[in-house]
Amino acid sequence: MAEQQDWNALSDADFRAIFRSWVEENLPPELRFMRKQRPVFEEVAEWYHRLAEKGWLSPVWPQEYGGMGLDAGKHIVYVEEWARLGCPRIPDHGIGLTGPLLIRYGTDAQNDFFLPKILSGEHVWCQGYSEPNAGSDLASLKTAAVRDGDDFIVNGQKIWTTLAHCANWILLLARTSSDGPKRQNGITVLLVDMTDPGVTVRPIPNLRQETDFCEVFFDNVRVPAANVVGEVDQGWALAKAVLGHERIFLGAPSRPEYAIKRLERLAKDRGAFDDPGFVARYAKLRLDLYDLGSAFERFARVLRAGGDLGPDVSVLKIFCSELYQRITEEMLTVAGEEARFWDDLQTAEGEVDAMNLYLDSRAPAIFGGSNEIQRGVLAKGVLGLPS
Amino acid sequence: MTGLILDDEDGGLALLHDSVAGFAARHPGPAAFRKRRAAGADLDRDTWAKMAEAGWLGLMLPEELGGAGLGLPEQAVLSEALGRALVTEPLAQLSVFAGMLLAGANAGTERARLAEGLIAGSVIAAPAWQGRKGAPAPVEARVSGDGITLSGRVEFVSAAQSATDFLVLARSGGEDILLSVPADAAGVTVDAHPTLDGTMLAAVSFDGTRVAADRQLAGGNSVGTALDRAIAVTRLMLAAEMAGIATRAIEETAAYTIERVQFGKRIASFQVVQHRLVDMWADAEFANAAVVHAVETCAEGQGLPADLAVLAAKARAGDAAVSITRRAIHLHGAMGFTDDCDIGLFMKRAVALNATLGQPEELRLQFVARERVAA
Repeated sequence: MAEQQDWNALSDADFRAIFRSWVEENLPPELRFMRKQRPVFEEVAEWYHRLAEKGWLSPVWPQEYGGMGLDAGKHIVYVEEWARLGCPRIPDHGIGLTGPLLIRYGTDAQNDFFLPKILSGEHVWCQGYSEPNAGSDLASLKTAAVRDGDDFIVNGQKIWTTLAHCANWILLLARTSSDGPKRQNGITVLLVDMTDPGVTVRPIPNLRQETDFCEVFFDNVRVPAANVVGEVDQGWALAKAVLGHERIFLGAPSRPEYAIKRLERLAKDRGAFDDPGFVARYAKLRLDLYDLGSAFERFARVLRAGGDLGPDVSVLKIFCSELYQRITEEMLTVAGEEARFWDDLQTAEGEVDAMNLYLDSRAPAIFGGSNEIQRGVLAKGVLGLPS
Repeated sequence: MTGLILDDEDGGLALLHDSVAGFAARHPGPAAFRKRRAAGADLDRDTWAKMAEAGWLGLMLPEELGGAGLGLPEQAVLSEALGRALVTEPLAQLSVFAGMLLAGANAGTERARLAEGLIAGSVIAAPAWQGRKGAPAPVEARVSGDGITLSGRVEFVSAAQSATDFLVLARSGGEDILLSVPADAAGVTVDAHPTLDGTMLAAVSFDGTRVAADRQLAGGNSVGTALDRAIAVTRLMLAAEMAGIATRAIEETAAYTIERVQFGKRIASFQVVQHRLVDMWADAEFANAAVVHAVETCAEGQGLPADLAVLAAKARAGDAAVSITRRAIHLHGAMGFTDDCDIGLFMKRAVALNATLGQPEELRLQFVARERVAA
């Protein structure tokens, strides 16, 4: 592990400059602004290892575990620069989910075993939460883990498991008990080795004809009880608690920012800025993006001051994902007859992946809690509306 | 509801906000609105005098002119609070706009007289500078001897019936001048019409109106500079006022739907109503965030970033206030369509403020035009 310092002691501007110049020197050019939203591990392995070597792979893990130990404010800078410089998404469930969960709730033995293997890339994690009949209503999940001596026997099915086909470990929410009045009780977090017998992964081609997500089947899979995180039956609270300030990133403007740059490129090339109708529509989108920045800043400031996010942060996710969709819809309008093509559009300033973005923009309104679920959270949590 | 979240280390902004709430409890805005509307008046002088007593009319005027010398955050908090309380006297025009014009004028006894009266509420200095499309439209001025003679017509003048003086934009020999004209001067005609928000808006004609030369407040480039500054600051304060209206409207509507029972259930428990309320709340949040962003960007200095932030804030808050109050009327059902229900007054006020100094689409087009030129 490379040298670490107290990054939080730097000003945001200084930290930003240091991070940016290192990324510019070290990010392989062919990985910048990758067309693929979710590359598999092998495609970005070089970048992953360079980050790990520098000690910059896991921004929020404490430094004693090999992280940067960034506070929320510096983490925002890290994520902003990451997007602005076109860094590819790495398979990050180990860094963003399993790692923080273990650091908070894991045993020393679990931490000693798993955390270094996340940093080395030996373990690539995926998130086993959703099931065919437990999507928005996650607490109704049925994948069962039954105690058998020192082990649990797991049977059931997960779905929409992002990058499961290139992962070798899965963080599993499984039902260990159906007693009790609340369905949220009786769920346990298990760390499952996907190379064990009985685990089958079946990729699901998505709208973009890529395989980002999969079905994962468990047929009498034997998992050591030592791989339970926290208490048996208490996994729901753990899974919820680990979602901290990162919720702000579901509403970070990076996706619509990238899309509007591509819209501008296409519009310039096709002469759309001479069309007053387009200019009026573009102006609306441009100011929606500008104001999203102002709204994001309002929540970022809470974090910088050391505060916690409330349920109101969901407003960013809704607005951001819907804006992303509207920008890509305008791209297709500008493309005119060319909107029939699958391939990227050509312009004097380079390619515009209009169809790719149009299709991709369907997803963020669904993942991380669909926008309707988010509206329900806001109705109850912020406006205090009755059931 | 969060409202404007601005740095407030010494608690001064919170104090100011509370003082408006106290004022509104003693002088409810909706009642004053209806009373003024029934009287066909363009200003409620009693309310105005009390606002002067509260020290609100010269908030941003520099101390050497007798003002409080406070900044944009204080004025924005005041405007937002007045919007929330539906206090609809034309503060934006008579205090903010007129005050900014005076702040940008040359030092002199006439400026001092106007500023002192403006702060005390004894002088009603009504800005008179717009043409039919709202853009600056100077009247014609001829300077002769020790006097200035004016001819022409301006539109959209607030409080023209109550005015003691008009702050007139004129053009003389290729140069802009700013001057004050006594409202009772010969050749001044006021043609006032009722507005949606229960006040009057007038066209003011000057037909050979002659004033003394020492009524000139500024000339040359400083006039355009003062006017641009007045427009920008007033837009920002209109945005703040509309953010206040938007926030109050969603609060009132949430409360009404929680109380209202149909099919044996509170209508706020229905998911379709909940999601509509959430969308209204979200629009108000964005309006507040845009106003805060503009206040802070302007505090960092004048220039393109400040100009863009103001255009964005006025557009965002205008769309939010108008569309939230419209949806609020709908969620109040038939009750919302009555004149008795205050929610309609909020909608009317929002429409009128939104139409003042540029509607959202026009402001957005200005934003992208300026941004693209700079890029």
